[in-house]
Amino acid sequence: MNRERTYVAGHALHDYNAISKVKMIEDYKYINTLKEFICSKFPYFMGGFDRQYAKFGDDWASAFNKELEVFFGSDEDRIQSAALGYGAFCLDSMKLQVEFNKTLEYRNKTYAEASSEVYQNRDYMFGLYLPGILISHYLWEHHYVQLKFYEKELIPRIAEISNPLIYDVGVGTGFYTKEYLRRLKSSQVTGFDMSPHSLGHTEMMVERWDFSERYQSRLGDILERDQTEVCDVINSIEVLEHLENPVDFLHGLNSMLRTGGLGFISAAINAPNADHIYLYRNADEVAEQIQTADFTILSQTVDQAYEPRKPGDIVPTNAAFVVTK
Amino acid sequence: MSIIEELQPIFRSVFEDTGLIVTREMSANDVENWDSLNHITLIVEIELHTGLTLTTEDLMNLANVGDFIDMLESKGFIPNGAG
Ligand SMILES: C[S@@+](CC[C@H](N)C(=O)[O-])C[C@H]1O[C@@H](n2cnc3c(N)ncnc32)[C@H](O)[C@@H]1O
Repeated sequence: MNRERTYVAGHALHDYNAISKVKMIEDYKYINTLKEFICSKFPYFMGGFDRQYAKFGDDWASAFNKELEVFFGSDEDRIQSAALGYGAFCLDSMKLQVEFNKTLEYRNKTYAEASSEVYQNRDYMFGLYLPGILISHYLWEHHYVQLKFYEKELIPRIAEISNPLIYDVGVGTGFYTKEYLRRLKSSQVTGFDMSPHSLGHTEMMVERWDFSERYQSRLGDILERDQTEVCDVINSIEVLEHLENPVDFLHGLNSMLRTGGLGFISAAINAPNADHIYLYRNADEVAEQIQTADFTILSQTVDQAYEPRKPGDIVPTNAAFVVTK
Repeated sequence: MSIIEELQPIFRSVFEDTGLIVTREMSANDVENWDSLNHITLIVEIELHTGLTLTTEDLMNLANVGDFIDMLESKGFIPNGAG
C-alpha cells in the first residue's frame, strides 16, 4: 500500500526540517481508534483521514485527538457507535448527492416532516446525526476550514468584548458552544434548539469539557420565541438550510443581537441531507438573505467539500460569514 | 454466471481498471481508486444494473466484495443465467 507514504510525505510539507521526529496519524491514539473502527466497516473512508492530515498536519490531528479524548475518552463502545453513525451519515448524504446531481432539487420535505423524522427522533439523532456532524467538523475539509476561519476571523474580534454573552442557535452537537467556552474564558453561552436530543448532546459536551457553570440551554422553536434579553454574539451554524423560511429566522437572530454585536452564520449549499429543505444554489443567495435581515457582513469564506470529479458535477459547499449589526 | 462475474465489468469501469479481477476477499484497501466517491458511484451503478434499491442499512456492513455479494443475494438478486 502506498497510503503510508502519502501521509508521511504530506506531513513533510508542514514540517520538512524535522524528519527525525516525523509523526504519523497513527501516533494519535484516539484518532487511530476511531479510524480503525470506521475503516473496518467503511474502508473507502480511510483516505479522508489521510488527506486531512496531509493537508492540515499536526494542528488538525492534535485538536481532533483532544476532541475525541474529552468527548469519548476510552469508552470504545461509544467510539464504535459514533464511527457507525458517521459512516451511515456520510453514505446517506453521498447517496442523496448523486441523486441531486441529476435532479438539481432537494427531495420535497416539509419542516414538520424533517422535525419528526430527524430532530425529534432520538435513535436517529444519537445513532447517526449528531455523531456524524461532530466527526464531520474534523473529517470534512470544508467544515474544518470553517473552524479555522472562525478561529482567525471571529475569535480575535470577540476577545475585545468583556464577559461576552453568546447565543448558539441550533446547537446541534454543541461543537461551537464548546469552542466559545473553551476559547473565551469569561464567556457565557446559551444554547437554543428545538430538539431535546441536540440539547442533551450539547449538555454532555459541555459537561465533559467541564464548562457547565457557564452554559444554559433553552428548548423550543426559535421562530416562536419571544427573546427579550439581547446577546453580544450570535452563532448559527448550518441551520438556515433546515428551514422553510430562512429570512424570518435571520430576522429573529438579528433581534436577539445587540447593536454593534457580532455574529457567525453559515449555510450548506447544494448539499442534500435528510433534513435539508431550503436549497441555496450559491453563496450569494445566503449573503443576500443575511443582508436583508439587516446584518452587515465583515468577512466570509466559501469552501467546497472536495474538487469536482467531472466538469458539471455539483459539489456540496459551505458558506460562513462573520457579521455585525 | 456468478454474481461476481456479472458485476465485474461495473467494477472495472468505475475503478478504471480493465484488467481488474474481482474476488470475494477484495476490499477498498486493495484497489487504487476505491475511495468514498467511487464507492457511491459503484453502488449507484449496481442499483441500476440489479434494479434493487440499497438503503444505508444495506450498505453499512460491507467490508469487502464478499459482504456486498451476500447482501445482494439476501435482497433476492439472482445473476443472469442462474436459477
Ligand atoms: C445541522 S444542526 C446544527 C449543527 C450545529 N450547529 C453543530 O455544529 O453541531 C441543525 C440544528 O438546528 C435545530 N433546529 C432546526 N430548526 C430549528 C428551529 N426552528 N429552532 C431551533 N432549533 C432548530 C435542529 O434541531 C438541529 O439541532
